[in-house]
Amino acid sequence: MNALTISTAISSGRVQLVTLRRRSLLMARMRVLLIALLFASVALVAVMRIAFLGLSDRATSFTSLEEALLPPRGEITDRNGVPLARAFPAYALWYNPEALGDPDNPLVKSPREIAAELKTIFPEIDADEVAEKLASGKRGYLRRRVLPEEANRVQEIGELALELPRETERHYPQGSMAAHVLGYVDADGNGHVGMEKVLDERLSDPARRAEPVALSIDTRVQGALEDELRRGMLATNAAGAAGVVLDVDTGEIMALASLPDFDPNAIDAEGAENMYSRVTSEVYELGSTFKPITVAAAIDAGTVRDFGKRYQANQPLKFGRFSIRDSHDLGASLNVPQSLIHSSNIVTGQIADELGAERLRRTMMDLGMNEKPYVELPATGKPIWPGEKWARVRNVTVSYGHGISVTPLHLASAYAALVNGGVWRPSTLHKLDPRDIPKGRRVFKASTSYRMRQLLRLIAIYGTGRNADAEGYRVGGKTGSAEKAVGGRYSRKLLVSTFAAAFPMDKPRYVVVAMLDEPKGTTASSFQRTAAWNAAPIVGRLVPRVGPLLGVMPDDTRDVDISDLRPLLPEANR
Amino acid sequence: MSATQPYIPRIGERGAERERYRSSRLVELKIWWREVDRVLLFLILTLMAIGTVAVAAASPASARRLSTAEVTLPDLYFYWQHLRVQLVGIVVLLGVSMLAKDNARRLGVVVAGLMLGLLFLVPVIGFEVNGARRWIDLGFSFQPSEFLKPCFAVALAWILSWRIREPNLPVVAVASAAMGLIAVLLMLQPNFGATILFAGVWFVLIMLAGVSLPRIGALIAAGVTLMTATYFLYDNARYRIDAFLFGGTAYDQVDLAEKTLLAGGWTGTGMWLGTQKLRLPEAHTDYIFSVIGEEFGLVVCALIVVLYLALIVRVLVRMADEENLFTLLAATGLATQIGGQAFINIMVNLQLFPSKGMTLPLISYGGSSTIAMCLAAGLLLAITRRNPFLSRESAGLRALLAQQLGKREGDRS
Repeated sequence: MNALTISTAISSGRVQLVTLRRRSLLMARMRVLLIALLFASVALVAVMRIAFLGLSDRATSFTSLEEALLPPRGEITDRNGVPLARAFPAYALWYNPEALGDPDNPLVKSPREIAAELKTIFPEIDADEVAEKLASGKRGYLRRRVLPEEANRVQEIGELALELPRETERHYPQGSMAAHVLGYVDADGNGHVGMEKVLDERLSDPARRAEPVALSIDTRVQGALEDELRRGMLATNAAGAAGVVLDVDTGEIMALASLPDFDPNAIDAEGAENMYSRVTSEVYELGSTFKPITVAAAIDAGTVRDFGKRYQANQPLKFGRFSIRDSHDLGASLNVPQSLIHSSNIVTGQIADELGAERLRRTMMDLGMNEKPYVELPATGKPIWPGEKWARVRNVTVSYGHGISVTPLHLASAYAALVNGGVWRPSTLHKLDPRDIPKGRRVFKASTSYRMRQLLRLIAIYGTGRNADAEGYRVGGKTGSAEKAVGGRYSRKLLVSTFAAAFPMDKPRYVVVAMLDEPKGTTASSFQRTAAWNAAPIVGRLVPRVGPLLGVMPDDTRDVDISDLRPLLPEANR
Repeated sequence: MSATQPYIPRIGERGAERERYRSSRLVELKIWWREVDRVLLFLILTLMAIGTVAVAAASPASARRLSTAEVTLPDLYFYWQHLRVQLVGIVVLLGVSMLAKDNARRLGVVVAGLMLGLLFLVPVIGFEVNGARRWIDLGFSFQPSEFLKPCFAVALAWILSWRIREPNLPVVAVASAAMGLIAVLLMLQPNFGATILFAGVWFVLIMLAGVSLPRIGALIAAGVTLMTATYFLYDNARYRIDAFLFGGTAYDQVDLAEKTLLAGGWTGTGMWLGTQKLRLPEAHTDYIFSVIGEEFGLVVCALIVVLYLALIVRVLVRMADEENLFTLLAATGLATQIGGQAFINIMVNLQLFPSKGMTLPLISYGGSSTIAMCLAAGLLLAITRRNPFLSRESAGLRALLAQQLGKREGDRS
């Protein structure tokens, strides 16, 4: 180094100082760079750490604005915005053996003591099972859906290992109401059974879940339907009940109930058994409720032109080894309105025979009886359809609702087509905007539909449907009491009683189908098992409850004009 | 040579009135503007602006946490408070940066002496906050150690630069003694974080002052030993280091800080939309970096790291052609103090360092500490002032590196 050589050459104190200054400065400068390098490497580590944290899965728990303000799953409401399923922030009871910091003794008290204390808070838990879980030292949920006051009491036990993390739960504020429509959400957040499954993607989509999904259901109507069905089911000691209220002009399902039901808030083994829906999943031979369809098809085809024409009614119809009879003797002959009022198999069979198998089959297919019911729900029941070529006897049995099994929802859609002017529309659980209402397909002529309104009203006034004739609501409908086929034979004891109705008959708005599965003759049903005594009264009580809610007011001054048919009925002139 | 005859004073004759250098406020301001390191000034003001926004973001969290049944603090309580202090701080910053280098040195040394005196008084008249006696109340309450930090760097640089005037002075011993005294006073409080920071500044300065490499190695070894000893002797440090090494309980502040830091992902939740920050203690001071992470995203966090590095590198690289040893030492010491505190805080937030109780300089909320930090920045600006019209004796960073590399190669051949 130059400076060094100069300094040794001239040895003076002053020069030494200059040299020292130069040397210290040079060293300091180099070491400054070293420090700069040190800071640069620290900064590099920090940036790399940020990148590492940002890319690690720990960063995925990120809360955006949506995350913070939106429920983790969208709400489901009824057609009026009443919440049916919503996100509910609850607590869970979580066992964390590491909370105390001592893996050998995770608990202060003995597991048995704690289990006993938990039992006093949650009476339904199994204390032994909980004690076993606590003793095992494995972490896990002890319970979900803990209410705040329960959480406080758990805190009071004073065990650190009992943690109460906040969790958002799916809550069904109406309890078991419309359970089959809604379904439930499992612990992993997946929807099951009902619309929760159907709308799974829509409800968990961050972009759309802020917007609640409105169903076609009306909570008030649903509540009334479930109430009346339950009352009817209990009164007749039936195994189950099903009901549906359908808008005849749009296909929207206002209420849909299957009993016994389950509570989507608390799924248990019993609830899981009741998850199949009698309205949409189970198929039944619905019996005499099919007779108006047959008559309508015959009027439409022109094979019934004269309502006064009389058919013999006391000779069983014989087709080979089959003979078709009525439940009791209805007289020597009946005209068409009388055959419906008294529900005669023999006369309906003759009408169907005149109509011909192909035409009845075509009508049934137009009414969607050969396909699964049109509704969004998963696991809909496939009808037992008699196939392509119908023998004469098959045609006759189908005409009064045997040899063909469909869901009650099929029947409701068919009745809507019968009374709404003859147009069949698919049923839906979505609330429809008026412009989205499907055009549907014409099955019957408007004139036929008008005749059917008269005929159905006659049945409710003079026939088997009298118990459904709610004062002022102009109900019309048909009963059906079919023997259940058990092991290939019809059981005399087990019935399916159905009442399919529509109201008000002067301008039909809604179809109501009520069905009881295996009703027993009880005091409450006057020891009768037929639909006239158990299913029809359900509709009779339901219609006054739901009519005003749906905009149908009782009015004695209006009714469908039946004056042209009344002379044909001796019953009317009695 | 100029063509005109130079002025030769003669008796009885007065020379023509010379054009004299006229000093006025405006001229001083112009000179300041030309001499000051404007890039450094910009970096400092940028960090302070980030601090304004960050404290606004963190203020609701701390205000809610510190509200009691009797007193409810408004959400932006800390923000308005911080804004007032920052205004005072900027006045201090600019005022100090306008001092001439010598005056800045004198200020540093005088304040260092004053604060050292107050540090002696802290155990006597100081009051306790959170289990440590650090604060002193002289009409307004402040921590003498906060103000001592920048002045200590200046004073130490001054002591160490004596050596080029009188090579036989034991400057390193004097500096080390001062350091030892301050360390004892700080550990009495106790204030482990500040001790480490002071020791860091001291270490950097004696290293620059020419302590030989073996001694530096020995010092590092001694430092590690001392840290280990502290770990066993000093409860607070042990708990924090234990918590860092072995993971604390589920809801300790380190864990909460990490949750907050990561809650916003890369781009953040947006200002005032963070939720995790609400559970974080000291959101507006020690863990403001995590709050920035949640609300403005990890990208902004990385940007802040880069800004601090830029500040340090700017100062240090400019020092590579500095000819005044005092300036070199003081500027490096101040940069180390600011940068060291920033990176320790950032490392704590990133869980690379045990929890320290240290604020993020120029960004965190703080009363007297913000002003102390502004004083540090002001001293740094004043000391690094340079007349841009004077050419440097040494050729700058590139030449220095070339020279050193050339020397190495020369040694090898």
